[in-house]
Amino acid sequence: MGAKRVAVKENVLSANDRIAAANRERFQDAGILAVNLISSPGSGKTMLLERTVERMKAWLNVGIVAGDVQTRNDADRLVQYGVPVEAIETGGSCHLNAEQLGGVLGGLPLQALDLVFVENVGNLVCPSSFDLGESMKIVLMSVTEGEDKPLKYPAAFRRSSALVLTKADLLPHVRFSVDTAVANALSINPALRTFVTSAYTEQGLQEWMEWLTSQVPKH
Amino acid sequence: MHELSLALEIRDLCERQLVRHRAARLSGLGLDVGALAGVDLESLRFCLGVVLEERFGDVLCEIRRVPGEAQCLVCTRRFEVVEAPFDCPDCGSRARGVAGGGELQITYLEVE
Repeated sequence: MGAKRVAVKENVLSANDRIAAANRERFQDAGILAVNLISSPGSGKTMLLERTVERMKAWLNVGIVAGDVQTRNDADRLVQYGVPVEAIETGGSCHLNAEQLGGVLGGLPLQALDLVFVENVGNLVCPSSFDLGESMKIVLMSVTEGEDKPLKYPAAFRRSSALVLTKADLLPHVRFSVDTAVANALSINPALRTFVTSAYTEQGLQEWMEWLTSQVPKH
Repeated sequence: MHELSLALEIRDLCERQLVRHRAARLSGLGLDVGALAGVDLESLRFCLGVVLEERFGDVLCEIRRVPGEAQCLVCTRRFEVVEAPFDCPDCGSRARGVAGGGELQITYLEVE
């Protein structure tokens, strides 16, 4: 029997996208704002989450999914704040996918939650390609990184709704221009909402939390 | 960076298509990869070679690179993008959406 050519036209990520759509429906049904946090390793995702959750849990029901290549260290740090936390160990993969997120959502009391943070694997490239079913992506960048990061990794900035600059308390010690970094980010995505924060001094955290709260569908 | 995951995803899609077409063997595969899909072609080719051969034996992969096309978010002009920083040739803005070249799609399979 000879070879036969069949037309397919199927997106390689269609399986991921189908599961992402199902996750999105679960979040929407429960009236949850689901935030996919993306950044390089070491930008301060966990630290920002610690300070944010510690305060926001006073007026919102917050849940967390913490992704890492290996270890449950981030989840262990976050669980101390008395909020439901699920961990995903990707076992080598450089990003979370929709199936992994869907697999742990059952462990969170979704109906009781207003806001779910998904802390993606530290990586500014791959996580931006995989829809998890989140309401929005938020990209973090610390002031110890290059101001041109938005130009080098445009997809993460183009697909995000907000940019959180972290570690602003280090500004006196590093050659980093907030204006240049923000201008670079806005040149990629003019709709990007930007926050300048420090988890240590709590600079900018109030504004960041108020904005997040305003995005929650239940409120 | 995630080319191995993509190759595994492609292998699974091929498997489902084989069942759908009641075919016994996969001999060829056509793939469109957009220039803005964030995929390294050499790496994908390598990973595909490994995972497809393991499952299906010898498969001829034809990978087509689709050029990147952007649309300026300020003046709406569409233009081809080759190298960063992708400034709009009309108004100079750097803000743009992906209008083409973001695809990562299986276009055909050759089955026996």
